[in-house]
Amino acid sequence: MRLDSARADQVTAVVFFVLGVAMAVGGYTMDRLEIRQIHPASIPGLVPMALGVLLALCAIGLYLGARKKVDAPPTDGDSMSNLWFAAFYTIAYALGLVGRMPFELATGIFITVFVMHFTYGRLAEGRHPAIWIGSALLYAVICSVAVSALFRYAFLVRLP
Amino acid sequence: MPTLAPYFNALGEFAQPMMLFHVVWATLLGIFIGSLPGLTATMGVALLTTLTYSMERDAAILVLICMYVGAIYGGSRSAILLNIPGTPASAATSLDGYPLAKAGRAQYAMGLATAGSATGTLVGILLLVMVAPPLAEAALKFGSFEFFWLAVFGIVISGQLTGGVSPLKGYIAGILGLMVAMVGSEGIHAHVRFSFGYDQLNGGIALIPAMVGAFGFAEVLIAISQRRPDLVTHSDKSDRMLPRLIDLWRYKFTVVRSGIIGTFVGIIPGVGEDIGAWASYAVAKRTSKERDQFGTGSTEGLTAAETGNSAVIPGALIPALTLAVPGSAPAAVLIAALFIHGIRPGPMIMFEQPDFIYSVAAMLTFATIAIGTFGILLTRVFVLVLRVPREYLMPLVFTLCVIGPYALTQRPFEIVVMVFFGIAGYLLRKMNYPIAPLVLGIILGELLDKSLRRSLILSDGDLTPFFTRPISAAFALLILVSVILSLGPVRRFFLNRITRRAAKGEG
Repeated sequence: MRLDSARADQVTAVVFFVLGVAMAVGGYTMDRLEIRQIHPASIPGLVPMALGVLLALCAIGLYLGARKKVDAPPTDGDSMSNLWFAAFYTIAYALGLVGRMPFELATGIFITVFVMHFTYGRLAEGRHPAIWIGSALLYAVICSVAVSALFRYAFLVRLP
Repeated sequence: MPTLAPYFNALGEFAQPMMLFHVVWATLLGIFIGSLPGLTATMGVALLTTLTYSMERDAAILVLICMYVGAIYGGSRSAILLNIPGTPASAATSLDGYPLAKAGRAQYAMGLATAGSATGTLVGILLLVMVAPPLAEAALKFGSFEFFWLAVFGIVISGQLTGGVSPLKGYIAGILGLMVAMVGSEGIHAHVRFSFGYDQLNGGIALIPAMVGAFGFAEVLIAISQRRPDLVTHSDKSDRMLPRLIDLWRYKFTVVRSGIIGTFVGIIPGVGEDIGAWASYAVAKRTSKERDQFGTGSTEGLTAAETGNSAVIPGALIPALTLAVPGSAPAAVLIAALFIHGIRPGPMIMFEQPDFIYSVAAMLTFATIAIGTFGILLTRVFVLVLRVPREYLMPLVFTLCVIGPYALTQRPFEIVVMVFFGIAGYLLRKMNYPIAPLVLGIILGELLDKSLRRSLILSDGDLTPFFTRPISAAFALLILVSVILSLGPVRRFFLNRITRRAAKGEG
């Protein structure tokens, strides 16, 4: 399913409708702080309730609009394999590697593998494997050390 | 009537070696980031904000403003040479810039873009100095009723103008942003909302990690999944970098008009540079004697687009400084940066920091001089920048996306927020939802929530003052008209009328 298609709009309309209803219910059932004798018009759930209703209404509009929408012809599409790799790998680095090992090491591994993956095609163009690995590794070491040093010594950040 | 004396004083204060050094590197970095398709001004300003925590206040804001101006200008490079706008602000530039480059006049197009950007920013700076101080004074008359409507107006107008053919998607993005702002401790009774027992959410979602995710991480994903564009750099013998003065003089009305349009588009909350460029381009096309050349390499079209998008920058800072309502997405990050560095934007700014608006105007002036200078002198270097392989650049950008937000509070939770907004930003963008209203919603959520409930306490639950106070009534009317005009049948009715009238005119 293309993300800019009418079908995608219908699916997201359903998601937004559920989110809107959940927000409205969450606002309605939120503590009204009666024990603190606040003004009834200033209850914390007031705006969330209104936003939930508005989102649900917009979602209905989106769903109805999507039924009449004609999909644009497909364009020169994105590389899905590149996207999936980049998405999974970046998330794995941010939420998996960082914090579980020294930041310099995590960043070094991340950049090396990232560069090697996306420059793999150059091997077929005749690049020597040692140069391919070496350039990725060298670049990763320079970036990792530079970024870590910048934040640790210049901005006095305790790295994760 | 504001005088220009404080502005000239501010210019003198910033003309110091260290400040000029900051101007040079930050503008160069901005042009570099703006030049690369996939890296936007918002992302540049958001990432750089994380690098300015420990800097002195004026230097930090100077660096961010230079990044902003540089990146918007830098977008024209890839728009002209690759037919891919480096930033969305340069989309209109590519319409005429790329045909000029293909015709062997790439250098001339870049020179014209430089002149247009510089003059556009200067027109905007002049209006900033003239408009911002009286606007800040006028905003002192705003009470909570007016601020509520201002926040609603910002979301509605931003959603409508950035949503393109579907304002509904713009409205949804704005509501989603407001919803994000509802998470955490609210501002009146300090009640924690929607934290689901997770302590890290008690303080709410910080803007910088959300912005770095939505603009940084999302753009890494977009850039890495797109095919590599073709670079057009060949020049014929008549190509020249410096535009002839006669050319600039020929378009003097276009430049001034585009500058004014860009600045006023900038003042409208959350609309941004791309709309400024398109609006200037459309007006120039309608009024030009050479309108048939627009879209095929018109120098006037290129000038209008570049002047318009650059003039938005000072324009966007006018509401950002005087009302704490950003005129564009990068201005939203700038507001967050101002708070980090101890400046409270809003109507009180002329009392608390009376010279600050003029300091910002001086910073913009230095950034403009820098883009003018670098734009002319370093053309060949910027062409090399476009050859930087993104396989090397993107992992470094993502590393900064991870460590930058973390550095603000040193909580790993900020990395989680960045990743969440990165994925959400990518999906929303692919589904043609504008991101600017989302950002505006996050910024304005607290203002809207507090203003509404405070007003209701003041009026004892009565809604009448929302519609009877003069400024409130004006805002309410504007919002109503905007929403009605964005409804499908109404839009179609007006579009049909315009098309019929245009057809009659041609006939």
